[in-house]
Formats: sequence, structure tokens, C-alpha cells
Amino acid sequence: MSRLLRRNGWVAGLLALFAVLLVLTKIIQPGYGAGDFGSLARAGLPFAFAVAAQAVVVIAGGIDLSVASMMALTSVTAASMMNGASEEYALFVVPFVLAMGFVLGAVNGILIVVTRVPDIVVTLAMLFVLQGAALLVLDAPGGAAAEWLKASITGTLPFPFLPDAVTAWLPNALVLLVVCLCVVWIPLKRSRLGLSLYAIGSSELAAFRSGVPVARTRIIAYGLAGLFGAMGGLSLTMSTGIGAPIPGPYLMASVAAVVLGGVVLGGGRGGLLGPIIAVFVLRLVRTDLTLMAIDPNVTSIIEGAIMVAVVMFGAFIAIRGRPA
Amino acid sequence: MRKTSYLKMLPLLAGAAMLASVPGAFAEGKQYTIGVSNTVQGNGWREEMVCAIKAQALASGEVAKLNIAHRNTDAAGQLEDLRNLISAKVDAIVVNPADPAGIKAALEEANKAGIVVVAVDQAVTEPTAYIISNNQEQYAYLGAKWLFQQMGGKGGVVYMRGAAGASADSDRDKGFKKALAEFPDVKVVHEVFTGWQQDQAKQQILDFIATGSPFEGIWTSGIDNVIVDALVESGSKMVPVVGADNAGFVSQLNSVEGLVGAAVTNPGSIGGAGVTLALQILDGKKPAEQTVLVEPELWENATPEGKEKLKSVVDPSLSAEWPVSISIPDWTTYSKEQIIACKGPGE
Amino acid sequence: MPALAGRHPRLQSGTIEDGAPLTEELILDASGVAKSYGAVAALRNASLAVRPGEVHALMGANGAGKSTLVKILTGAIHADKGDILIRGKRRDVRSPADARRAGLVPVYQDASLIPDLDIVSNLRLTATPVEPFANWVKELGVPDLDLSEMARDIPLAVLRVLDLARALAVEPDVLLLDEMTAALPANLAERVLDVVRRQSRAGRSVIFISHRFVEISALCDRATVLRDGQTVGVVDMEPGAEERIVELMLGAKIEKQRGFARRQASQADAGTRLSVRNLRVGTKLADVSFELKNGEVAGVVALEGQGQDELFAALSGSLRPSTGTIEADGVPVKFSHPADAIRAGIAYIPGDRTEALLMHRSVRENIALPFSARFRNWGPIGMQKERTIVGRAIERLQIDTRAQGEVQRLSGGNQQKVTIARWIAADARTVLCFDPTRGIDVGTKREIYRLLRELAGQGKSVLFYTSELEEVQLVCDRAIVIFGGKVVDVLPAEIADEAALTRAAYGLPRNATADVGILADLPATNGAAS
Repeated sequence: MSRLLRRNGWVAGLLALFAVLLVLTKIIQPGYGAGDFGSLARAGLPFAFAVAAQAVVVIAGGIDLSVASMMALTSVTAASMMNGASEEYALFVVPFVLAMGFVLGAVNGILIVVTRVPDIVVTLAMLFVLQGAALLVLDAPGGAAAEWLKASITGTLPFPFLPDAVTAWLPNALVLLVVCLCVVWIPLKRSRLGLSLYAIGSSELAAFRSGVPVARTRIIAYGLAGLFGAMGGLSLTMSTGIGAPIPGPYLMASVAAVVLGGVVLGGGRGGLLGPIIAVFVLRLVRTDLTLMAIDPNVTSIIEGAIMVAVVMFGAFIAIRGRPA
Repeated sequence: MRKTSYLKMLPLLAGAAMLASVPGAFAEGKQYTIGVSNTVQGNGWREEMVCAIKAQALASGEVAKLNIAHRNTDAAGQLEDLRNLISAKVDAIVVNPADPAGIKAALEEANKAGIVVVAVDQAVTEPTAYIISNNQEQYAYLGAKWLFQQMGGKGGVVYMRGAAGASADSDRDKGFKKALAEFPDVKVVHEVFTGWQQDQAKQQILDFIATGSPFEGIWTSGIDNVIVDALVESGSKMVPVVGADNAGFVSQLNSVEGLVGAAVTNPGSIGGAGVTLALQILDGKKPAEQTVLVEPELWENATPEGKEKLKSVVDPSLSAEWPVSISIPDWTTYSKEQIIACKGPGE
Repeated sequence: MPALAGRHPRLQSGTIEDGAPLTEELILDASGVAKSYGAVAALRNASLAVRPGEVHALMGANGAGKSTLVKILTGAIHADKGDILIRGKRRDVRSPADARRAGLVPVYQDASLIPDLDIVSNLRLTATPVEPFANWVKELGVPDLDLSEMARDIPLAVLRVLDLARALAVEPDVLLLDEMTAALPANLAERVLDVVRRQSRAGRSVIFISHRFVEISALCDRATVLRDGQTVGVVDMEPGAEERIVELMLGAKIEKQRGFARRQASQADAGTRLSVRNLRVGTKLADVSFELKNGEVAGVVALEGQGQDELFAALSGSLRPSTGTIEADGVPVKFSHPADAIRAGIAYIPGDRTEALLMHRSVRENIALPFSARFRNWGPIGMQKERTIVGRAIERLQIDTRAQGEVQRLSGGNQQKVTIARWIAADARTVLCFDPTRGIDVGTKREIYRLLRELAGQGKSVLFYTSELEEVQLVCDRAIVIFGGKVVDVLPAEIADEAALTRAAYGLPRNATADVGILADLPATNGAAS
């Protein structure tokens, strides 16, 4: 147990921070309850997918600046396809949009591998390309989403063997997030591909010499980022019921949560759980600041300060904990 | 200025402790808490809107506390802010929607929680919400029609839009196209999105002037004074310019040699009107219509009467990006000092 | 036998023999210099005394501490201990700029002009006067240089000349040349040597580092020899001095370590595992042929930069050879990716462990990585099977796994064991070891020797490059010596002592009595020094 705690110290620390923030929220707003937690889960959903996308490429030693544009494009594509279409049609739209995300992400990876232009440049260019493409699909917010899709992130599901008091705190949005991430991440983590992702992020040379196909792995990493980005885009459409062509604030937020979640910029270290918890920590901070009616111009300063403080604290603990 | 009050709030715990003491501070007659949600930060028009909300809340004497979520975000982010305001159990929410349909879910939840919702500036699709808005389509139609008349019904017009995809921009586009249809000899020679950014718009017009293409008029979606600056600086021929009633532009219409132009009102003080409407509904005085539209006016400097009007509204004390129409008759009761001070109740 | 100056660096044999007064002013006098990186001592007690107008060679085997001493003298790094006197005055050389001010200007092995600046800007950066620079460039045999050209667009040989001209332009009291002639064509090299002689005639000093004995004999007045971070002697360059320098570089062997059991006679005719013919890779490896038998440990011996890096890179699939063939078990193979080599059962263990391991990842993952690379599929790794194989490898190598969460927390020796363990787990049949014992403790070194012999005993073959020559007789069955990109000699272990290897590595001819039986296998490549 202590070993588990030590090896996952960062995640454990974030969970503790999240718990403290929940208690704090309850103190600030005694009426804060399961319904409000559901709101938090829904608010965190697009951020969580954005950060998952970013985490995969950062673990593989890259960065993806096109995350937010990818979400915008997939969101408007889904919303315009579902506009006026039947409920069943959405069953086709969802896999189509996910595949589109994967392919466009892989294009990022192919460009990086083939042209040898730095990832930051390629994905920056892709940011503009995807943003333009999103405006071509829908020049103004619009479109629609199937009712069942919208319903899938509201309310709670009755879980067998679990009392209502518990299921009330398991909003559908959270369940959906966990299922989507697990379906992709767990098989990945257990496969050679997952190992290769960490390998190329940790040391490209060592990975190459160990026989890892570096180029192919990098392309797939960006493809997976595109896939998670498409999930994020769909979640935007699911929560707003429309598609918006102008990208939201997901790029900076994704990098912030990746760092806060213990994934090292530069690659090779970290997981998906940390960044996801970090997303909810940041969302809950915003909730608390709103509940406290703190001057809106100060809230972003506080958000930034918390991020720096946590990362610095983590680094401090890591240095102290290192065996002499 | 406001620094001292920020400092007290910086540590979260201290903030929480302070809040715990707030309920006792409720004074007689001030009972409502109003939540505000706005998704564009650092834009003069939106800042005036927020200041008008604060000033009206203070002037009304009925608001104990404002809870303002004010940041740059999208519809999904606004959903989050709105839900946080619902969690904060406010009595009413004044919202400038990032998207008319995209925030429907949260507005519906607010209605279920018994919260009065007033959308300002732009419409929303949620039927239980009240709307008080500037008529954006009419805004564009009025200005464009006047401009095309000034151009003699023919020639090339530069069409400097707002932000691609924003609903106010697409509404204005409808009005612009409507006017354009009435003048078949007027052609759009250059169409560009300024993103409602001053520096970007100035660069764009300078780039266009540099191409040497002829144009006879410029329509702007409210980024106007920098366009006049660019015309003056580049020594280009003065053409009629249409903008909004921003303080900088209005003073240019009064002073710049050879500039013919018109300002169409688009009062940011609509936020204050939103507060008034919300308080009326809370007090049981519901309006007859769910939607209240504030119609724009056009102030031009081509006629003596127009010049008189422009002289009377010019206000050098306002920042150049602020609209000069800082109040709306019947809807706002604050003084000019109050809106410039930009302080809400308890600040 | 020259006086051993290791204990007392001020005792210089040359000074006494010349009969010159001991008080003669030295232009540079460094003594007692020590520098450690963590637990590894790069220099223990080095000294170097240079007289005015002297050309002074600095000699030592790979890893003896030459480059560390040079870096300290030129201010690139700071010594832990020791005095540096310049013209009799103590100087604290804190930076390269400091060294230049003191009159000590180096020309390093690698071109040091900034590639994206033109020549004039490069000169301005180091405050070098342009006119003398241009004159020197002409003198050195480059008549038509365009000063506005980008350093990037200039061929390497000319860049070296420019580096030298830049150093000469500031009229240094002590010019330090590190392998200056290595990258130059013969005509340019001759000009350089000429300039060095003229410097000396003008009363300026030159410290000269080179692997070419011919140049050193022809040019230098004295040589300081380093071994294991210590100055072990100063030799006057007179006929026969080469032999004394080699002796000093190797040192007197106090204790002969006993080698491990070698290949049995019965295995001598075992099949050929790898056969390399006329391999040419990049610019450094010119033409190499050899065979590696099953159950054999073959040593590769070479001075730095003779093409051994390219040889190992080509055999492990990291570099594609320009010509030549590689056969594994008699079948021609072409590697376009290390994965191909791994599938052919060839594993590469680099000297720098950070180039082999994922430092931030666990021992388990590091061992599983190449093991899984043998399979073409992308599917899930069988967790149970993986755990068994990994566990077995760790147990076999007795890796201390208390800190197995991150490989970077293991000791250097344990890290090196992990790099080997992963290939045992991956069931490699041929192991290419590139200086695997560099910077690890004696105990672990011995374990690695034992392990390599054990692998050979199981019929696996090992190609083992080492910069520590005594390892050849400890571990190898024979030694392949490479010089100038070609195999110059192949010595059976019995005669591959350090003296023989050093001589061969410097391209000096072997004693006529040497056994040439194995050389007969290599008709195309054997031969004398080039």
C-alpha cells in the first residue's frame, strides 16, 4: 500500500487536494450537493477530453497546439450532420466524427515525421487549418444534437447494488468520461504500443535502438490525440446542443492540466489519471471563486497562482523524497 | 484603487471566512443577489456593459450582492459559469449569451431552480428567459443604408465585420445584406473579420489601402476610430465611414477634417437595463412581452441637425472604446459618475 | 626510464637532462590539478609545464584525462584542486574568455565557429582582429575566402583552418591544438605543421595533442604523458621516445589479472555467426571485413574516432552502410531499422547508458521494451509471460531492484546490468557491446566480464569494443584493431597485451615474429599502418 502510494504520490496528492476543495465548497455553500457535482462533471467533460488528448502527445514527447481547433471542427461537423436528422442517424455520426478526429490527428503526426518540421510549428499551422475548416462547416454557431446524446450526460444512472445516495454522486457525465478514457487507455497501456509511447517520450534514441518504430508510434500518438479531441468536440455538442466554430479556451487549459497532473513536458513521465483529476481541481477552484463572488478579474490570477504553487510544491516534495 | 479589497480575498480560506460573515451585513431594502455571466473580457463595449450592471445594481438599492462570472470563454464555459451561479443560489441571472441555443440547458435548469433569467444584448432560445437586447439586424441595416446613400448608390464598399461565428455578427450580416440588396450598384470590394480587435482591424485596412484598390465607403462593425486613424495616417482619400457610437469615433466625427460618417447607437448600458428588468420581474412586475428590443439611432455629420446631435453627445471623459450612450431612458437610473466609477453594491 | 613525476609533478626529467636552470621561467605551469564528476575522478593529480617557444605534446590513452585537463586550462570547466601559473603568476582561469586574456587560446577538435553567422560576425563575437586573421588564412593555404560567407556553408577542413587562423590572429602565448590535423587533407596538414614550427621559432609555445606519432616525433620538443588522471612522465622527443611514451601510457602492471576461461578448442571451428565484408559506413569507416564465430568474444580496439562508432551503428541497424555486405548465419541481411537487427537476434549495448535506457521508466518496462520489439504485432503483451521473463532476467543478473520504479535511481553498475538483462530476456544471439564498462565500479565490471563469457559459453557471440585495453585479454578470444577506418591487425588474445594493442592502435607495425595465422583470413584488409 505504501509503495502504491509512493509511486502514485502525485495522483494521491491531487485527489487529496480535490477532497479539500470539496469540503471547502461545502463550507462556502452549505447547499452544495450531488446535483451541483453533476454540473461540475459536465463542465469538466470537454476539458477532460482535451487534456487526455494533450497528455498522450506530451507523454510521447510532443505537444499539440491544435487540440482546441480539433474540438471545434469535430463539434461543428457533428452538430451540422445531426441538424434535422433522425435520432438513429446520430449512431452513424458519432463513429464518423471519432474516425475523422483520429485521421486528422494522424495527419499532424505524419507531417511532423515526414517533413521534420518541429511539432510545435506543425500543430500551430494545423490550429489555423482546422479553425478555418470549422468555419467552412458552420460559419456561425448552429446545428443540433440528437436528444439521446444530450441526455447521456445529464442525470445519473441507477447502478445495481449501489444505494441512491451513492449513485447520486456518480453523474452520467463522469461515468461517460471514465468509460471513454478506459476503453482507449487501458488496452493501450497494456500493449506494446503503450510502452512505445512512453519509450519515445522518454528517450527517442534509446527507443529507436530498442527496436521501437519511432515514426509510426509518433503518428499514432497524434492520431489518439485527435481521437480524444473528437470526443471532446462531441462532448461540446452534447452539452450545448450546437456546434461552435470558434475554438474555446481548451488549448491553454489542456497544457495547464497536463502539467498540474504530473505529466512532464518533454515526455516519458506521467499518466492520464493525474491530468483528469487536475481538470476537476481547476474546475472546482473556478466554482469556489464564483460562489465567493470574487472579482472576476482576479480569478484567473488565482487560478494561475494555484497551478504554479502546486507544481512547485510537487517538485519540492520530489527533491526531498529522492534517496540520497 | 481596488487593490485592498483584492488582497483580502486572495487566500481561499480567508475568503471563505469573510463570506460566512456576509449574511449579517444585509441592509434594509437590499435583498437580492444577482448573478452575471459574460464571455468576452477586455473589450470596451462589454466592459461598459458590466459597469452598467454594477452601477444599476447600486443605484436600484435593491441588490445586496452581485456575483459576476466574467471571462473569455465559449458556450460550454458559459454553461459552467451559469451552473456555478445556480449553485451559488442567486435570485436572478443577467446573461450576455455566448450562443443563443448553446446555453439553453443551463437556462432551463435556472428556471427550474426558480431563478429569473434576463438575456441582454443577444437573444436566447430558452422560452422561459426574458430578453432585452439591441436590435443588431436593424443596427447594421440602418448604418449600411445611410452609407450606400452617401456613396450615391454605387461603388465599392469595404465590409469590416466582427468575429466570425459570433451571433451578433451574423445578425448584423443579415441587416447589411438587406441594405445591400436595395442598392444593386454597390459592390463589396473587401470583406474581412476584425474579430472586434482594434489593432487587427487597423492592420487589415492598412493592408487593403496598400493594394491601391478603389473604394468609396467603409462599414465597420464597431471597430471604427482606428479605421479613421488609418485613413488619416496613410493620407488616403477620405470616404464615408459608418461605425458605432464609441466615444473615440464620435469625437472624430466632430473634429476630423473632411470625414463624413455616421455612428449607430449600440448602448453597452443594455446591461443596466437587464438589471432593471430582472428586478421588476423579481418584484412581480412582469413585462407584457418576453422580448424587449432597444432600437438603434443613427447620428450622422452630413446634415446640420446631425452635427448638432453629435456635438451634444460627445463626451471626452469616456475611454475611446466606450459607447457614448451610457444610459437608456426609462431603463437605467444611475448617474454618469456611477457608471464611470464602475462599482457595484458592497464594493 | 624517464623520471616518474606522478608523485611530484615539479620534478621534470627534461629540465634536468637539458641542464637548464630549474628556475627558468615557464610560460604555463599547472600542477596538482584534480577534477571529479561525482564519484568518478577524471583527473587525480595532473601537471603540465610548458616553456616559452616550445612545442609540447600532451599524450595519454583514451580516458586518461587529456580532454579534462585541456578544458580546465582553457577555462571551460573548473578544477577542484591544483594551481595554474601563467608566467609565474597564479591565475584563476574562470572562463574561456579569461584564458584568452591570459594568452592561452585553444583550437578544439570540433569546429567552433557559429554555423548561422558569417565569418565577420564570428570574428566580432570573439573580438578577433580581421586583418591578421585574413593573413593567416592565406598563409594556411586558403587563398580566396569570402568573409561574408556563412560558417554553415564552409567545408569542414576549411573550418578547422579558420579556427586555427582565428586563434593565431590574437597572437597567443600558448596555442593549444587538439587533434588539429585529424580532419585535414595532407597538403593543409603540412601547412599547419609549418605554422606550428614558426610559432615556436617566434618564441611562442604550442601544446599539441595528436594520435599521430609521426607528427609528434617530427614536431614536438617534449611530451607530457597522462595515465588514469595523473601525469606519469615528461619525455624529451628524441629517437626511441615513442616506445617510452607507450610504456608510460600503459604503466607498469603491478598485478596481472587472470583472464576468464576462453573458447574451448572444440568450439574453435563453430559456425560463423556474423560475416562482414568490405563494409563502408559514412566518412569514417572506410573498408572493414571480419567474421564473428558462434561462442566467440571478439574485441574491437581503436583510438577515438577511427570508425568504430559507425561499425557498431551499422551492425545494429541504426545506420545504413554505403557499401559492403553483412551476413547473419550465412544469410545476407539488410537492416533499415534497429528492429530488423533485433529480429535477426543482434542486440546493441551502447557505452552511454542514457542512450539505451528509458531513465524515467521502471526496470520492468525497460526490460520488456526490446523483448516486445521482437514481435511484429501491436497487440497486448501477455502480462503473465512478460512478468516471468522479466523476473528471470532480473534474478539472473542479481539486479538490486529496491529502486525499480525509475531506472535513473539505480547505480551505474545496476543500470548497465539492466541494459544487458533486457537483451538476455529478448533472447539475443549476438551482443554488440560498446565500451560497456566505462565508468562503473570494479565489482560490477567483473560481473559483466563473467556474463559476457557465460553468453559465449552458451554459443552466443559477442563483439566487444573497449577503451580499456587490459579488458581484451580478460574477456576476448581475439582483438580486431581498427585505424583510419580499416582493420589494421587482428591479434589472438595470447599476444594482445596492452603494449601490442597500443602499438597496433596507433598504426605502428607489429613485431615481425607475431602470429599472422588469423590475418590470413582477411586478404583484403590486413596490412601495415596507413
